[in-house]
This record gives sequence, structure tokens and C-alpha cells, in this order.
Amino acid sequence: MPIDWAEFPIVWLGEPDLALNMSFQSQIYRALPELERSDAIVNRISKAITLGMLRVGERLPNEIEMSEMFGVAAATLRDALAVLRDQGIVETRRGRSGGTFILKQPQFQPEAMREWLMSTSIAEIRDLGDEQSAIAAATVRLACDRAEPHELERLQDMARSLVLAEGAPARARADSRFHIELAVTAQSTRLANAEIRLQAETVEVLWSPLIDEFDAERATAEHLALVRAVSDNRSQQGQQLVIDHIRRNTHHLIDTKLALSYSTDVKAKP
Amino acid sequence: MSLSLPAAAALGSISAWFNEASAATCAMAAAVTELLTHDLAPGSLVTKSDLAGLKALASDSLRRHPYAVGSGATFSSARMSEGQGVLEWWAPGPNGAEKLAFDLDPGGERFYDYEHLPYFSDAERTGEVTIWGPYVDYLGSDEYILTHTAPFKIHGEFAGVAGYDVTVRALEEIFLPALRSIPGHAALLNSSHRVIIGNSGAYLVGERIKAAPSESRIIPLEVPHLGLSMLVPA
Repeated sequence: MPIDWAEFPIVWLGEPDLALNMSFQSQIYRALPELERSDAIVNRISKAITLGMLRVGERLPNEIEMSEMFGVAAATLRDALAVLRDQGIVETRRGRSGGTFILKQPQFQPEAMREWLMSTSIAEIRDLGDEQSAIAAATVRLACDRAEPHELERLQDMARSLVLAEGAPARARADSRFHIELAVTAQSTRLANAEIRLQAETVEVLWSPLIDEFDAERATAEHLALVRAVSDNRSQQGQQLVIDHIRRNTHHLIDTKLALSYSTDVKAKP
Repeated sequence: MSLSLPAAAALGSISAWFNEASAATCAMAAAVTELLTHDLAPGSLVTKSDLAGLKALASDSLRRHPYAVGSGATFSSARMSEGQGVLEWWAPGPNGAEKLAFDLDPGGERFYDYEHLPYFSDAERTGEVTIWGPYVDYLGSDEYILTHTAPFKIHGEFAGVAGYDVTVRALEEIFLPALRSIPGHAALLNSSHRVIIGNSGAYLVGERIKAAPSESRIIPLEVPHLGLSMLVPA
């Protein structure tokens, strides 16, 4: 029997213009799960600023556009903006050249990270690591083929800036910048996009000293070894190095989670 | 062996396009020189208030080059009174040119260190027009682009570069008809032999051609300073 296409539901894919505008920023505004939407908006915008995807001084889209992109009611969006305003992260200006502007970097919030680690299962953290390894291995393979020597010199400087960075927020930025720039040398907008999203999910938790401080010297050495493998076009070795590097990050996240959730030094939680 | 007729024609039309674009870029750089030499005493540094006329230049450049996704001028931090780089760059918007925001603070989260990027440093080093890309401009336009720039001087001394950005996507539309007319696999290459556009799946944008494959050869385009070449069947 021929297919009766009239029976098929019409899938609305959004405004064509919006679909074409596949910039990195579209990651920030993708649709949200039902629960805790206002908190999720605060979280996503804060992370985007922390990772430098949104810049201080930049204007956010207007409220109607944002509530459409996030798929939330106008009131939910306004709640989220109110929280960001209270934290001093954004300000809303009236008038013709008005709008909501980014004022400053959000504070590193250890409490929120602790909560994230406790509420995320080991399986989910492992799965995040799996996705990161997949993206990073492909990135390294392409970078071996495509990167130019001057780009690798730049990458080497970025690797060194991790060990020179002081404090968890600066280390988190240096680490994520290294991985994003590596994806940039692979010449792929999509891989760079994926790396930005994945870094936003984990890098702050990785470097915040919740239980133990993560070892910046070792991470730097691993980054430098990776740059060497890419510049010598040792693709297999580079892929293995980056997979081991990410596995170590994942173990640290899981160990931190377990130490927080199932500490043997039992202080019964209220 | 001589080139096939369609290959020679494609080389000619693509070279003509870049030569015209280079001429427009150099003209824009000369206009920046004129604008700033006018108001500045020799030896004095550029202040932000001297930059007011740049928007008109960038808007004009965007109007004349509808394929450009950005245009403007960037300054050597050594020539700025604040000692920090200045990147005056505009993108076409529904209500005219819109200024792009960049993080130019060396300690910033998203520091856009353009003075170390080849479209700036090569133009500074050689004193000539240059082109860099394709590259993923994740700190700037968030697109896969090329940047075509020319250096400008103020009172005879290098002060920055002016030019425009064009997406790989736009160049594909411009050059594919000419490239498709070449029988066999062909590709336009940048100065480091990276593919800008290929006429088939054989050579993909972003890949580097480390040596000309057998049965093919690399012919330089007659476009001064840009280092462009074409990989064509031998």
C-alpha cells in the first residue's frame, strides 16, 4: 500500500533562519528539560559566561526571543534573569539601546558543584567521559592531519599556561581553552562546538578543590605530550594519550563524588 | 603538458576575483591611513576617540562586498594610547553594520590574541596584503572563515591591519561553478597548501596537501602575496 503522507504528523523544525544560524551560541539556548527550568537557565548562562562563550559587555537576546529558544514561559525566563541580576552577573538597561547585558564573571560556586557531583550517578559521569573520549580521539586524529606548525606552537603555550595558572577558576579556563583550541586545529566547527559543550559540563568541577586538588603539573605534562604526538603526526599514540588523559579526569570526578557521598568519616546528614 | 582550457579559465577567473579583492582591501587600508594621519600628530598614539570614522569605512566595505561577514580594522597594541589592542570590526545586520564585541584583555576569559594570528602578524612582518584561513573563528565570528587583510601605516609606521572576513560557505558558492568546469579532481589551496575548496569529494576543505598526488600538479595563482595555488590534474 502506498504511504499516505497526509497521515504523518507534521514536525515543526523551527524557523528556517534559526536552523541555519548554527553558531556556537545556539548551544547555549537549546531546549530545556521540564524540571527546574529557571535554575537551568541561570546555570546555562552562568556556565556560558565562565567558559567565555558569552562575553562581559555582550547583550543577551531579548526576553521574547530567549523564552522561545529555551522553550519556557516569559515568567520563567524573567525569574532566571532576576536571579542573575541579584548575583550581579547581568544588568537590565531600559531605553532604545537597552536590553540585558553581561556585567561580570559568575563566582566559582563550590556548593553547586558539590550538588552536581552528588546528584550525578557514576554511570552518568562515565558516560560523559565516554563522549569526551570519542570527541577528543577524533579531534586528535584530524589535528594530526590538518594542524599547522604555528598552531601547534600556540597550543604548546596554552598547555603551559595551565601549570602557570593560579587558583581553580584560572586552571579550569586554561584547561578548557587548551581542549577547545585543539578542536579548532582540527578545522571542524562541529567538533569545536561539541568540545565547548563538554568542557562546560565538567571542567569547573574537575578543578575545584572539593576533596583533593587536581594535579595541574601532571595535566600540563599530558597536554604537552599530546601536542608533541600531534606535531610528530603520531595519530595512534596521540589518540591513546588523550583517551588516558580523559579517563584520569573521569576517575577523579568519580572519586570525588564517592568521597563526598559515601565518606567513611560519617557525619550523618540532616 | 599544458593546462586544460577549463582549468586555465578557472585559474584566470579565480585569480581575477582575488586580485580585485586584494585591491579593495589595500584601498581600505589606505583609507584608514588617511583617516588617522589626518587627526594625529606624528609620534602620537591612537586614542579610542580617533576611531570614530572607521564605522563608515567598514560599512562601505560590507556594502561593496555582500559576501563578507565582517570587516574593519585592528590595531597594534604598541600604537594605542591605552596599550591594549583595539579590534574595530563590524558585521552586516538588519539595521546596518553592527559592531562585534571581543575580549581584548590579556587576562580575560576569552582573550582574542589577534596580534599573534597570521592575518595580523604576516601582514606586519611582510608589509603586504595577506589572507589566512580557512579557520574556525571560535573567539570571533564563530564561523569557518578566511580573513583577507592589508597592513596600514600611520606616519610611515605599521599601525595595524584592515580587511574583511568571508565564510568558506560563501566562497564555495562563488568558485564552485569555475572549479566544477575542470575535468578531474581540482582544488584551490592556501599558502600552506590547505584546501579552501575542492571540486569533488577527493580534496576536502581544511585538509592539507603535503605533496601533490601523482597524476596531478600544483600551479600557483597569479595573485601577489596571497600564496594561493590550484591543484589540478597533470
